[in-house]
Amino acid sequence: MELSKVMKLDDAALAARAKSGDRAAFSELVARHEDVVYRVCYRVLGSREDAEDAAQEAFVRAYRKLDSFEGRSSFKTWMVRLSMNVSLNERSKRKGTLPEAPMPAPAPDPERELLSSEAAARVHGALQKIQPNYRAAITLRDLEGLSYKEIGESLDIAEGTARVWAHRGRTKLREVLSQ
Amino acid sequence: MSEMGVEELLAAYATGELEGEEIERVEAALETSPRLRSELEQYETMFVLLAAAAEEEVKAPKGFRGRVARRVAITAYLGAATNVLDDLLGVYGRAILYYLRLT
Repeated sequence: MELSKVMKLDDAALAARAKSGDRAAFSELVARHEDVVYRVCYRVLGSREDAEDAAQEAFVRAYRKLDSFEGRSSFKTWMVRLSMNVSLNERSKRKGTLPEAPMPAPAPDPERELLSSEAAARVHGALQKIQPNYRAAITLRDLEGLSYKEIGESLDIAEGTARVWAHRGRTKLREVLSQ
Repeated sequence: MSEMGVEELLAAYATGELEGEEIERVEAALETSPRLRSELEQYETMFVLLAAAAEEEVKAPKGFRGRVARRVAITAYLGAATNVLDDLLGVYGRAILYYLRLT
């Protein structure tokens, strides 16, 4: 199929074409979602190199499992779910190793921090110190802006559980950032 | 959610996720508790940091798409090879691929 035609299709149509072996359709899905997949992996793993490996693996798994994509959730939510699974598994394998994310000295003035990347580094460093399920919920809610329903679908948990994880994660994150 | 203590509602209050009676409960408690006001300030600072982190440009690295495409192509060829060997040799074909660590 011509590239210009592929680019006009929505995600569900592209996924249907990819299922039947159209690799151009799958490449378009990768192009549309590579940034969100990479970001999710980076925020869970705290390292750009590990994030690239995990993001590649998530897309390869997606290609292998296309038959299981039924379109009940959006393709993006399905990809976020695969990315989270790959990243959290990788994270548990490396349990005990220190995160790469830098932890600069605490800066008391948040407005000044907004002008630099210190805020992001500080948040990423703090996120590495809280439980993986809480980190996942905060990443999806407060960094990616997903609804609790979408978080539930992404993490394969009930919407209420997504709320509880985000709430507990925020409490822990506040404690870590206030230390 | 409505049975949670006010302390547990503070983060949701700071992000504007609460409604009606819960907002009133939190605001009434904040008026009389310096400790809760201090915690609320910490949450507000945290959400400023989170908002800044969310704005940080994190994009897939250059060449990422191509590297995924190569891995997908290999996966597709191996899948096809598995099917061919399966048709030709049945379980022995699968065993060969498994032995070669290709699946």
